[in-house]
Amino acid sequence: MNPELLRNLWLEASPFKLVQTAGLLLLVFGLCMAARGRILSPDHAAMALYWLFAVLWGTRSAAMSVVGEIRERTWDGQKLSSLRPGEMMWGKLVGATCVNWFGALPCLVVIMIPVWIGAGPGRALAYGAILLALGLFAQAVALLSSLTLIRRDTGNWRLDAFLCQIAGIGAGLLYYSLWSSAFTFERNGDNAVVWWGHAFDLNSFHMVSLLLFLGWALVGCWRAMRAELRFANGPFVWLAYLVYLAIYSAGFESSIPQVVLLYIGGLSPAAVRLGLAGFALLSSAYGMTFLEPKEPVRLRWLGEQIRAGRIAEAFLALDTWMLSTIAAMVVGLLLALLLISGGAVNYALAVLAMLGFLTRDVAIFVMARALAGNKGDFAALAALGVLYLLMPMVLRGLGLQGLQFLFVPAVTDAAVLSVLAAWAQGLVALWLAAHSISKKLNAR
Amino acid sequence: MIEIRDLVFEYPGHRALHGVSLRLADKAITALVGPNGAGKTTLLRCMAALETPYAGRVLIDGLDTREAPRAIHARLGYLPDFFGLYDALNVRRCLQYAARAHGIAAGQAASAAQDAAARVGLTDRMEQAAGALSRGLRQRLAIAQAIVHAPKVLLLDEPAAGLDPQARRELSQLLLSLRDGGMTLVVSSHILAELEDYSDRMVIVDHGRIAGGQGIALKGEARLRIRLASPRGDLKDFLTGQGARIESADSEQALVALEGGTAERAALLAVLVGAGFSVSEFAKDSRALEEVYFAQVNPRAHARTGLEAHIK
Repeated sequence: MNPELLRNLWLEASPFKLVQTAGLLLLVFGLCMAARGRILSPDHAAMALYWLFAVLWGTRSAAMSVVGEIRERTWDGQKLSSLRPGEMMWGKLVGATCVNWFGALPCLVVIMIPVWIGAGPGRALAYGAILLALGLFAQAVALLSSLTLIRRDTGNWRLDAFLCQIAGIGAGLLYYSLWSSAFTFERNGDNAVVWWGHAFDLNSFHMVSLLLFLGWALVGCWRAMRAELRFANGPFVWLAYLVYLAIYSAGFESSIPQVVLLYIGGLSPAAVRLGLAGFALLSSAYGMTFLEPKEPVRLRWLGEQIRAGRIAEAFLALDTWMLSTIAAMVVGLLLALLLISGGAVNYALAVLAMLGFLTRDVAIFVMARALAGNKGDFAALAALGVLYLLMPMVLRGLGLQGLQFLFVPAVTDAAVLSVLAAWAQGLVALWLAAHSISKKLNAR
Repeated sequence: MIEIRDLVFEYPGHRALHGVSLRLADKAITALVGPNGAGKTTLLRCMAALETPYAGRVLIDGLDTREAPRAIHARLGYLPDFFGLYDALNVRRCLQYAARAHGIAAGQAASAAQDAAARVGLTDRMEQAAGALSRGLRQRLAIAQAIVHAPKVLLLDEPAAGLDPQARRELSQLLLSLRDGGMTLVVSSHILAELEDYSDRMVIVDHGRIAGGQGIALKGEARLRIRLASPRGDLKDFLTGQGARIESADSEQALVALEGGTAERAALLAVLVGAGFSVSEFAKDSRALEEVYFAQVNPRAHARTGLEAHIK
C-alpha cells in the first residue's frame, strides 16, 4: 500500500472517529425513519450529510493534510522522503479524507435509491458519479489551495486552512450552482447547452465539464506536489491548462446574456469567442497573481537570467501568475487586432486600455508584496478596491463620471486617452515595483 | 562527500550566506557552530536540498542539489531543530512509515524499523506513542527516523538543544557510533563544550560566512594551556620552533595545539623546562575551544582580553 495513504489511515481512521461517524449517520437516518419523512426525507437528509462529510468537512481534511504537516513541522521530513508526487498526492487526498468518505459514501447510496427507483439505474449511477466527482473536486481544490498557500509561508495555519476550505467549498458550490441551473433549463424546455455551435445534453455536458475540471485540479495538485518535492515543473502543463481554459470558455458564445449582446452588438463571433477566452485568462492572471508568492529574490534572479541572455532558462522557471498574465496579454492583443480589422476601433482601444490596467494591477501586487510581504497581497487588493470601486464613486459624486475611463476599462469616446492613461499608470506601477524590489533586496 | 562552492542564499532583504565554500571530510563529524542567525540552519537546509541557493553549488556524493535533489534526499538523513514527529503514532509505526517513505520495501520495513530503534536504544518503547515520549527519547526517535534508510550523510540541526546531561552524553555516543559505522555527519550546535567529545572538525559560521575561511581540526591534536611564573618574551617563538601551532600567546601564557599524544606533550614540557621557562601550568585547556570560537566570531571583544588569535 502507498505509505502515505497507510500513514493517513493510521492517523485518521481511528475506531473512535469511525464509531462517531457511524453513530451520526444512524441517528440522523433513524430520526428520519421515525418521523416517517415528516421533517426530512432520508434522501434529503443524506444529501445534507453528504455535503457535510464530503464538502464542508472533507475540504477541511484535505487542506489540513498539508497545512497540518506545516503546523506539526513534519513537512520537511515528507519532502525528504522518496515518495513520488503522485503517491504523496493520492495518499493525502484519499487518506486524509478517509473518515469523510466513510460517512459520505453511505449517504450517496441513500441519495441514489429514489433516483434508481424513479429513473432507472443509469440515471442513478450518473447522479451518484456527479456527486462523487463534486466531493472529490472540492477536496482537490482545497488540497491544491493548501499546496499553493504554503509557498507563501504565512505562519498562520488556521487562516490558511480556513481559506483553503473556503476555496474548496466555493469550487463545489460553483459547480453545484451550474448543475442546478441545468434543471431550471430543463424545466424551461431547454435541455441542451450550445458549445462551439454544437448542442449537447445539459447533464452530460455538465458531467464531462466537472470531470475535466476535476482532472485539471488533480493535475494541479500533482504539479504543486512536484514543486514541493523539489522536482522542476516547467511551464508546459500550466500553458496546456490555459489553452484548455481559453478553448472551454470561448465555446460559450451563444450563452452570453441578451443584455451583454446588446452592449457589444455588431461584433463578429470570432471576436466574441476571443473575448471570452481573454476574460477567462484575465481572471486566471488576477487569481494567480493574488495567490502566488511574488518573491523579490526570485524576480531578480529571473531578471538576471534574461539580462544574461539565458532566455530558455528563464522561460522554464516562469511562475503560473506570469504565464497567465502573458497569456492574457497575448490574447488581448490578438483580440484588439481582430477588432481593428473588423472596424470596431473603440472596442479595440478599450481592450488595449484593459491590458494597461492589467499591467498596473499586477505591478501593484508585486510592489505590495515587496514592501509588505504576505500582507502586501491584501494591501494590493485594497488598492484595487479603491481604484475600481471608490474612485468611480468619487468621480460620480463630483459629477465627473466622464473621467472614469482614467481608472477603469471602459468603451468611451475618449478611447485613445483611456489607453494612454492606462499604460501610463501601468508603466509607472512597473517602475515603482522594480524600485521596491531593488530597495527590498538592497536592505541587508 | 560534501562540497560547497560559492554558496549564496538570500531571503528578501537579507543575504543569509555570502559565497560560502567548504569541503567536509568523509566519515567524520563536522560541527557547525555560530551565533543565532549566523546562517547555520540555512546552510544545512541547502545541503539537504530543501532550499534552492541563489548562486553557487552544493555537491553531496558528487550530486548537485540543484540538479538532483531527490537523489540526494535518498542519500541523506536530516534532523531538523524541531523533531517533526507524528505524535499520535507509536514508535513502531513512526519508524515503519519513515522506512517505507524512504523507499524500503514493505517486507523489509519492519526489520529496518527494528534495526533503527535498536541503534538509538528504543526497542523497549516500540508500542509507545511518540507524543508520550520524553524530549530525549523523542530526539532519539527523530534520529532513528533519519537513519532508518542507512543514509551516507546525516545532517543534524541543534540535536542537543533541550537535552539533559545524561541524554547529551548518550547523543555523543550515538553520533560517534554512527560515524564509526561509516556515516558522514554534520551537526550544528551552540554547545561548544561538548563538541570536542564527538566532533572531528569545527566550522564556525558567522554572518553568513565561514569564519577563518575553513574548518578547525578538533581531533588528532591537543590544545594545551601553558603559563609561566616569570614572563618571557620569546615564549611564542620558542613554541613555534617546537612544532606547536600557536592559537594565542603573549609573554606569560600561550594556547597551543600540539599533534600527537602524551609522549609529545611530555617532550614539549621537558624542552620548555630545559630551556629555562618557569612553567607554572601545563594542561589541556577545557576553555580552549570557546576561546577559538570567540576569537573568530567576536575578535574585537576577544582582543580586549589581551589574547592574540591566530587561526590558520
